[in-house]
Amino acid sequence: MAALAFTHQNLLQFTPILTPPKPKLKPKRTKTKLSIQTITAVPQASFTDQYVLQLADALEDSLPSSPSSLPLQKLRDNSSVTLLSTEWPSRKEESFRFTDTSFIKNSDKKPISHPPKSLTFLDVSRDTQFKSFDFVDGFLVDSSFDSSKLPDGVYVGSLLKLSSEGILNRVCEFLGDFEWGDLFWSVNGLGAPDLMVVYVPEGCRVENPIYLKYTSVEGGDEGSKKMPLSNPRVFVLVEKGGEVGIVEEFAGKEGSECYWTNSVLEMVIREGGKVRHSYVQKQSLSAAHIKWTSVRQESTSTYELVEVSTGGKLSRHNVHVQQLGSDTVTELTTFHLCVGDQTQDLHSRIVLDHPRGYSQQLHKCIVAHSSGQAVFDGNVKVNRYAQQTDAGQLTRSLLLEPRATVNVKPNLQIMADDVKCSHGAAISDLEDSQLFYFQARGIDLETARKALVVSFGAEVIDRLPYSFVQKQVKDHVKELLESTRKGPS
Amino acid sequence: MACQIQCTASPPLPSLPTLTPKPLPSSSLFFPLPLVLSSCLRSTHVPSPRPVAASLSAVESPTSTNGFGDSKTPLLEVKGLTAVIAETKQEILKGVDLVVHHGEIHAIMGKNGSGKSTFSKVLVGHPDYEVTGGSVVFKGENLLDMEPEERSLAGLFMSFQTPVEIPGVNNIDFLQMAYNARRKKLGEPELGPLEFYAYIYPKLDLVNMKTDFLNRNVNEGFSGGERKRNEILQLAVLGADLAMLDEIDSGLDVDALRDVAKAVNGLLTPKNSVLIITHYRRLLEVIKPTCIHIMEDGRIIKTGDSSLAEVLEEKGYAAISAA
Repeated sequence: MAALAFTHQNLLQFTPILTPPKPKLKPKRTKTKLSIQTITAVPQASFTDQYVLQLADALEDSLPSSPSSLPLQKLRDNSSVTLLSTEWPSRKEESFRFTDTSFIKNSDKKPISHPPKSLTFLDVSRDTQFKSFDFVDGFLVDSSFDSSKLPDGVYVGSLLKLSSEGILNRVCEFLGDFEWGDLFWSVNGLGAPDLMVVYVPEGCRVENPIYLKYTSVEGGDEGSKKMPLSNPRVFVLVEKGGEVGIVEEFAGKEGSECYWTNSVLEMVIREGGKVRHSYVQKQSLSAAHIKWTSVRQESTSTYELVEVSTGGKLSRHNVHVQQLGSDTVTELTTFHLCVGDQTQDLHSRIVLDHPRGYSQQLHKCIVAHSSGQAVFDGNVKVNRYAQQTDAGQLTRSLLLEPRATVNVKPNLQIMADDVKCSHGAAISDLEDSQLFYFQARGIDLETARKALVVSFGAEVIDRLPYSFVQKQVKDHVKELLESTRKGPS
Repeated sequence: MACQIQCTASPPLPSLPTLTPKPLPSSSLFFPLPLVLSSCLRSTHVPSPRPVAASLSAVESPTSTNGFGDSKTPLLEVKGLTAVIAETKQEILKGVDLVVHHGEIHAIMGKNGSGKSTFSKVLVGHPDYEVTGGSVVFKGENLLDMEPEERSLAGLFMSFQTPVEIPGVNNIDFLQMAYNARRKKLGEPELGPLEFYAYIYPKLDLVNMKTDFLNRNVNEGFSGGERKRNEILQLAVLGADLAMLDEIDSGLDVDALRDVAKAVNGLLTPKNSVLIITHYRRLLEVIKPTCIHIMEDGRIIKTGDSSLAEVLEEKGYAAISAA
């Protein structure tokens, strides 16, 4: 059926069993995008969501016509197949029950086909002590890549420029192999113009963090329905005993333009490896931001995620951690802040199939606007063979305005019988006993509230492992909270 | 409270023959007093507080309190205070009368549930309780009309029985905010972080705590003893005219108790007073009270000197209420 969407003559040769095509096919398609041998599963008949179809076509159009490297091509092909058998998510679907994606669905989505011509703004923003690897509108900016400070054997760069056969093979082994994705995962798979590879060889400890900076330049003005779409994609492979820190920062230009950043980071951590992942999102308040982080952890590996998301009109982070061996350590610490008419969403899933895993999740969100909404769905699957697992999950939400909304669904699915699991959720205004403590020491209520709100987020922000990131984020959050404070009540 | 800040180190007052003055702390804004305080005894009250010769024997003070014709206004005057739990309207305080003069140490003892902690919480303005009658005059002003932060700025300090944790706000920031609130009230310029650190650093010795403690979050992960010492540190930093110590000795080991008692004694001056709520005689052996009140069923039923504590220890509360 997928073949029918692309009415190229060649393709019709091998699809005699398919039902007649739907009437809304585009006649102008001429490129051979699909390589024949990879189409094995034929999607179900008679179903093509119009929005998905349009988007798939647009993505196809945006890709360069020259053939790309094999792994990327394979990824695109698989994604295309999956994409066309997926419906645009509706509110009836459990994983989108509280998240309204019609904002994206109804916009005029146009995948960005090449990076902006002028990149001078990059130099201006480069004031940190660590050189960043830049993505602009989803495209890697090679000139920014400076691998001189990286230890030997470490590769950070585009897949297309990867010369080492060894690394290439390793990447091919793992790339794109994910059965839990959704529509947006497939959109990225099909539309990613390039793939950034971060490879850390065995036993190698990378001192300085790898700082990935994603900037969105093209954007539609408020009011227009124009929504440029970018699909940056990163693949991280840490071999046995390797250690690395990755900082991802998503920002846009000043202002509130509308765009859609749909990014994916896939990670494989081999035995004994350790990754500290920091993720900071401060995109425009009119933009859509959807991110997937898929991590596969082998035994005795460690994955620590610290996230601070403050931007985006609709921001959703999907995290999937798959445990492939025993004695792993997984720590997810996230902070979401709504200061305007925003939706901040975290859907996380940790799947444990092996014994003695340790996983801790802390999610905090503040909704400081009456149209703001925070969503949390934290799933932890402790399956039958995951004995002696120690899994904990805590979510705390602060609602500071009337009609601010938060929807939390912590869920632990426990099949094993020798485990230690806990979860807790609290939604509240600030704690009275803490406010009174301030008052009893002579500090007025207004100052006390401000201090407590800032400190609520500080618990997560303090866990960012690199001080230059921490300071930036702290200042940014403080600024945002200041802007929401009205006069003394 | 204002006088605390402006006081400079001065020679100890003529002390009792049995006691030697303690060495002055490095940047003292207060000076140590002999352990045994004077002048509570209504019958011998003199206008300028001076330690009177030792024994507190002239004790037969009546259970109610009155000025005995002294010209000095009391620091705290509570008359017929009644209060209920705000949520359930259950009456806890049923008419408390108490007078505390400057430079006095009072102790309140009583059975569990007699209303001791409630009394201090009501004075401090805790929202869980509602005052239904009576009056409280603190330094000549009506305390019940003031918001909790105003009461604190007026010089009333309460050390909580179970201090709450405030994750995310560290000790030095918290103390700085509180201290600057006081400076602002006095019309003085607020202190920046460095200046404040210089001010607070010597006080850590007073409570026997190390500087790393300042960077920890307020009471987060603190043991019982550490929390109580943190309360006393706050008292030392912020100063108070009347400090109410609610069961400061509960949960403390011998050493911690000694540190706390030493710190409290170090903060006493002829101008400020302390109200100690406790169950045990142990603390009162180190911080010698001017008088002891026994509270039962929401009222103060007996007042006496420190010998009362011995009676209590030997015979229990029944002996007191029967008497």
